[in-house]
Amino acid sequence: MSELFIRALRADRVLPGGIVAVELDGRQIVVCNCAGSYYAIERRCGHMNAPLELGTLDGFYLTCPMHCVQFDVRNGEVLCDPVPADFGSEMPPPQLGKYLQNIERIMKPVRSESIRTFATRLDAGWVEVAL
Amino acid sequence: MNLQSRKNALRYFFTKVVEPMGFKFTPDADLVEFVLEQEVALQSKHGSPFCPCQPLRNERARDMQMVCPCIAFHRRQFDLMKRCWCGLFVHQGVVDPALLPQSLPREVGLE
Repeated sequence: MSELFIRALRADRVLPGGIVAVELDGRQIVVCNCAGSYYAIERRCGHMNAPLELGTLDGFYLTCPMHCVQFDVRNGEVLCDPVPADFGSEMPPPQLGKYLQNIERIMKPVRSESIRTFATRLDAGWVEVAL
Repeated sequence: MNLQSRKNALRYFFTKVVEPMGFKFTPDADLVEFVLEQEVALQSKHGSPFCPCQPLRNERARDMQMVCPCIAFHRRQFDLMKRCWCGLFVHQGVVDPALLPQSLPREVGLE
């Protein structure tokens, strides 16, 4: 079965090293430009759903802005667990500390999952994505 | 999480850091694989790929100087040894790391 490609955005809207979020057919996707090659992956982080267009792209590796979980944009594979928060030697105020402890307890069992990728192609200056 | 994929990612990020400082991965491929594997385990446990040959002391300022590649924090020693402590990185001119001295000259104190 042939894939149906949909125009996502003009290629010049996402520069090398850039990440742009688009919505296609009700699905949220980010398009990444890795040195002229375009990759499309789900917009939401496989850990806690943070929007990945706010992260950083280095080579083929995309780092989530929330807990620094990393993904390979070529296959969506999750590459590391979230980085735990560290407040250094300075303890947070007791009430905030209690809140953060509770958040940590809730977050602990949350697993980081790989995310879905989509095929892309360039056509007449547009990046097209196969849903 | 796939161990090999994580190791590849670390290799990519580390190369970008160490090459401008005049270092490279050791030509000893087995050692590279072994040390990176330990760092993946340390990162899973602590959140950062700490140097596997140094102890953590629970002193954040000091411990963060042990996050691989830690060359920038121990440059003087590593430049003299032409390698880092665990041998993951060597000076770019080093061909056979086995020929490098195993310890620092006596006059060089530990930082």
